[in-house]
Amino acid sequence: MAGLTLPVLQTAPPISDWVAVAPVLLLGLTALALFVVDSIDPDSSNSAALAGTAAAGTLLALVATLLLLAGGVGQGQGGALRLYGGQLIIDGMALFFTVIFTSVATLVIVASYDYLRDRVYQAEYYMLMLLAATGMALMAAAGSLATVFVSLELASLPSYALVAFMKDNRGSVEAGLKYFLIGALSSAIFAYGISLVYGVTGQLGLEAIAQQLSGGTQLVGVLGVGVLMVAGGFAFKTASVPFHFWAPEAYEGAPAPVSAFLSSASKAAGFVVAFRVFAVAFSPEAVAQSVDWTLAFWLLAAVTMTVGNFAAATQDKVKRMLAYSSVGHAGYVLIGLAALGGGQDGLVLGASMLHLLVYGFMNTGAFLFVALAEYWEVGRTFEDYNGLGQQAPIACVAMSVFMLSLAGIPVGGGFMSKYFILIGAVGTGHFVLAALLLVNSALSLYYYSRVLRALWVEDSDGSVAIEGYPLGLYAAVVGAAIVTFLLLPGVFLASDVATAAASALFA
Amino acid sequence: MAETATSTVAFAFEVAPAIAILPLASFVIALFAGKYLPKRGALAGITATGGSLLLSLWVMLTVAGGAYYNEEIYTLVSTPDSFDLHFGLLLDPLSALMLVIVSLVAFLVHLFSLGYMNDEGEPGLPRYYAGLGLFTFSMLSFVLSDNLFMSFVFFELVGLCSWLLIGHWYREDAPPSAAKKAFLVTRFGDYFFLVGVVAIFATFGTATFAGAESFPTLAEEALAGSGGAGGELPTFGLSAQGWFTVLGLLVLGGVLGKSAQFPLHTWLPDAMEGPTPVSALIHAATMVAAGVYLVARMYGFYALSPTALAIVAFVGGFTALFAASMAVVKRDVKQVLAYSTISQYGYMMLGLGAGGYVAAVFHLMTHAFFKALLFLGAGAVIIAMHHRQDMWEMGGLKNKLPVTYYTFLAGSLALAGIVPFAGFWSKDEVLYEALVHGLNDPLLLAAYLMGLTAVFFTGFYTFRMVLLTFHGEPRTHTARNPHSLGWSVKTPLVVLGILATVIGLANMTPIAEATGLEIEFLHTWLEHGLEGVNSEHYGEVLETVAGYSAAELSPLLAAVFSLSLALAGAGLAYRLYSGDRPEHHTDRLGAAKRLLTDNYYQDEYQVWIAQTLGTGVARASDRFDQGVVDGVVNGVSSVSLFSGDRVRRVQTGIVSNYATLLTLGLVALLVGVGLAGGWFL
Repeated sequence: MAGLTLPVLQTAPPISDWVAVAPVLLLGLTALALFVVDSIDPDSSNSAALAGTAAAGTLLALVATLLLLAGGVGQGQGGALRLYGGQLIIDGMALFFTVIFTSVATLVIVASYDYLRDRVYQAEYYMLMLLAATGMALMAAAGSLATVFVSLELASLPSYALVAFMKDNRGSVEAGLKYFLIGALSSAIFAYGISLVYGVTGQLGLEAIAQQLSGGTQLVGVLGVGVLMVAGGFAFKTASVPFHFWAPEAYEGAPAPVSAFLSSASKAAGFVVAFRVFAVAFSPEAVAQSVDWTLAFWLLAAVTMTVGNFAAATQDKVKRMLAYSSVGHAGYVLIGLAALGGGQDGLVLGASMLHLLVYGFMNTGAFLFVALAEYWEVGRTFEDYNGLGQQAPIACVAMSVFMLSLAGIPVGGGFMSKYFILIGAVGTGHFVLAALLLVNSALSLYYYSRVLRALWVEDSDGSVAIEGYPLGLYAAVVGAAIVTFLLLPGVFLASDVATAAASALFA
Repeated sequence: MAETATSTVAFAFEVAPAIAILPLASFVIALFAGKYLPKRGALAGITATGGSLLLSLWVMLTVAGGAYYNEEIYTLVSTPDSFDLHFGLLLDPLSALMLVIVSLVAFLVHLFSLGYMNDEGEPGLPRYYAGLGLFTFSMLSFVLSDNLFMSFVFFELVGLCSWLLIGHWYREDAPPSAAKKAFLVTRFGDYFFLVGVVAIFATFGTATFAGAESFPTLAEEALAGSGGAGGELPTFGLSAQGWFTVLGLLVLGGVLGKSAQFPLHTWLPDAMEGPTPVSALIHAATMVAAGVYLVARMYGFYALSPTALAIVAFVGGFTALFAASMAVVKRDVKQVLAYSTISQYGYMMLGLGAGGYVAAVFHLMTHAFFKALLFLGAGAVIIAMHHRQDMWEMGGLKNKLPVTYYTFLAGSLALAGIVPFAGFWSKDEVLYEALVHGLNDPLLLAAYLMGLTAVFFTGFYTFRMVLLTFHGEPRTHTARNPHSLGWSVKTPLVVLGILATVIGLANMTPIAEATGLEIEFLHTWLEHGLEGVNSEHYGEVLETVAGYSAAELSPLLAAVFSLSLALAGAGLAYRLYSGDRPEHHTDRLGAAKRLLTDNYYQDEYQVWIAQTLGTGVARASDRFDQGVVDGVVNGVSSVSLFSGDRVRRVQTGIVSNYATLLTLGLVALLVGVGLAGGWFL
């Protein structure tokens, strides 16, 4: 993250298109390279080479994104870069989210190296993950509803396959199928919404839609239904109530690294595209008179965080608890959308972006710890984790950092980002949401602390012996913990970038 | 030359924080290294307080040169629009004088402790000296404070130190209990003080004592209606003067607790359970002085409210008489001194309330010296008597302990107010101020009459104490063979004895009136100072805002009157107790003696209030906590878990159910937002 300290140039140097989309290209090309390798040697068992190639691709993409971000590309006075007739927009927000995707993908790939030992079709696994990451990076940069839809599908389709990756595991296959069915339904709703918006405005480009809508429209009802259906499509991707039903099943059934990837990166991708579409195309100024979508997001935020946290509180299995807590966190982030139009757009959206960044690390880390537990085959319930603190202290310290940070205790960046969301909610007068945020955070402390209790307080029944300390998983878990922790003091650095990127949308 | 002078002045003020920091260093040394040091931390304390004394004298000289200092030195919290919390120094004639008093007494008490604690082989000496160091640090910082917030911080720290030191012998039964009582009773007053500090911040946005932006100045501007920043202050529905009275009385709550004024005086006699040097330091010259000093420090604020002043004066006058009457029957030498302390602080409050700012500060100064002397003298007697304190077991110590006797006698003459000893001049001036202002104000006059009556009692109990202790035939074996005393005990007595004799000459108002000589040095001293915080300004404010006016009366007349009362009291004591074998004359008081010995049942009724009211409130709070708060918490958690369980059941695992719910949810959202937005009209 050191790259962020470089000064942002006032005017970005002129660069070619392919340089600006280098992160996307790197991700896509790495996927294709793996495809070639797999075609030549389908039975390769050299998992180190496969994971190494994939990790190198995501790392390169991460470095490229950081360089672009530090170089001020698409930021500052030059404004966003519009490529291919405005189909792609490279700006601070796109790059900020690409940092999240590539970081999460790197962590997950490093962890998968151990998790997938002795499994077949590893090349396909990494390839699918890279393709999904490519789709997410494209979502962050999508400049028209057409690109939004295509990139969203590009991110979704590999995800279905990834969830069902363990073909011989009934839970994994069932979860994949359910995820796919709900995804198909949501995509249908989403596409229908796009068609309605297109019917009203005659445009697909986000800025063009905004321009069209600023003159007002006769078809308020049609536009309204269209806008909410588009919102539904994003709600599916972000696992917001009532489009969340797939999430607990998919996260639980999927291999844990895939759960980490989906719950962190995929959710962030859903949010970045929602931010862009709603802030630019349906900007509050343009449609506030006719379609008050902030009310819809207000309701979604309130219901999502409450349902997610309440359901998480009653779970017996850690992974499922994390799945529901992931729903709850989507609710917190939705506050950023609900509070738009309150006069502090850049701040509230920046707070949500910041939370997604921190969440990318702490939640990925938590799921990867679960992956570690699955690797050790210690079991899935809270009780099965009893006494792990004695046997694997380093990983358990990392897990404690994740849990406390998720709960909003100042041990990691989660405290500050949640605090910024709270300030945003209060500052824009959304006191009910602020109160719900506090109540739900208090409730979340209950179920997160159950993990800590199991790890450190309870004694093991002695039946479980840990075999081995897998290097890749450990590296990913500890790395995520270190970044989570560093984001506590470093949060102001990131929050400046996030706020600037968010404010640029409304400039 | 001029530049050199300026830089010397600047340097004197630069090093002023060291006055407080030196004793803090001795606290740290005594605490962590005390047990390895030869005198267990005593030498560090003596060096530190000696250094503080020298620096204080330097600051005093600098202030005498007409230079003052009022600066922020460390900001804790700063908010641009509302208020800031900071530490700062205010060095003017009042604080410089007080610094010298506190550091001198602290120095002498440290010295005396060598004889009282070290030579007697007491345990826990490092803890003792650490406590003394921390106490001196807190008190000096309190004196240096430039704002009420800082004062409050150190006020509380002083309270903590008194708890530590009173409870020094914590293995016995009485000291821990006395320490707790001192802590709780003063804390009760401090609640009001704390509320007052917050209210002053809320009203003025500042709590600094001096300067154009200080709260007394703002309050004065508000009352004068002269616009300025003080023009529109929030007064919470009261008139400006009414609200300032409320603020003054809230702060006064802390003052009553610390300065042991009725009805919060009950802790002080019990606090005599602490080591005697501690009594001298805390309960005579410094900590108890904190309350009175605070009123003097913010006198410009009190002067704006005649109601607050009248209450101060009345409480003071009443306490003076009330405490003096109880001192008459005590058997324990330290108890007599304890009640006399309460009584004397009553005089200071009377002086302040009656508009005699200089008189009160004067009495604060003389009392600090003669009461420290009396306590140390009593300490010397207690050493000699092998830690017996009952005066009826003493007698005849005059010849065995000549140094102690003569210094103690000087202190007693000062306390009783016999010319020309220190107490005469100061007490007399307090009474004079009360009288001249009281002739126009019946409440003040009543306070004055109580103060005047107390003079008689003071003369009586003081000489009863002297006669029973030092005169007559020794009444016990110990009194016949007292323990000898060392130099560390005698030196402080001699220094203080001289001061108690001559310090009153600093401000001989009656002589000045009679002869027309310019010898009222303290008046001159306090007239200078920063704008708005000097006695000249206070006099104007008292006249214009509080409506005080002084009647024309010769101070000589009043002086003769109070002196004759004091002599009458002393004479009565001499008549009753001067024989070789004095009798228990107070027995003749009958039921009244019971009442006085039992302190008017003050403790009993306060315990009763604490038990009925306090326990009742505590029980109600407990019930509220158990029932309502815990009930809500438990309720929330069971509701959460129950509804969480419901939510869980929605997740059936059947994908067509999910699709249905998803669609229904979307439809509900569409209908809800659509109806709110009026799409379907």
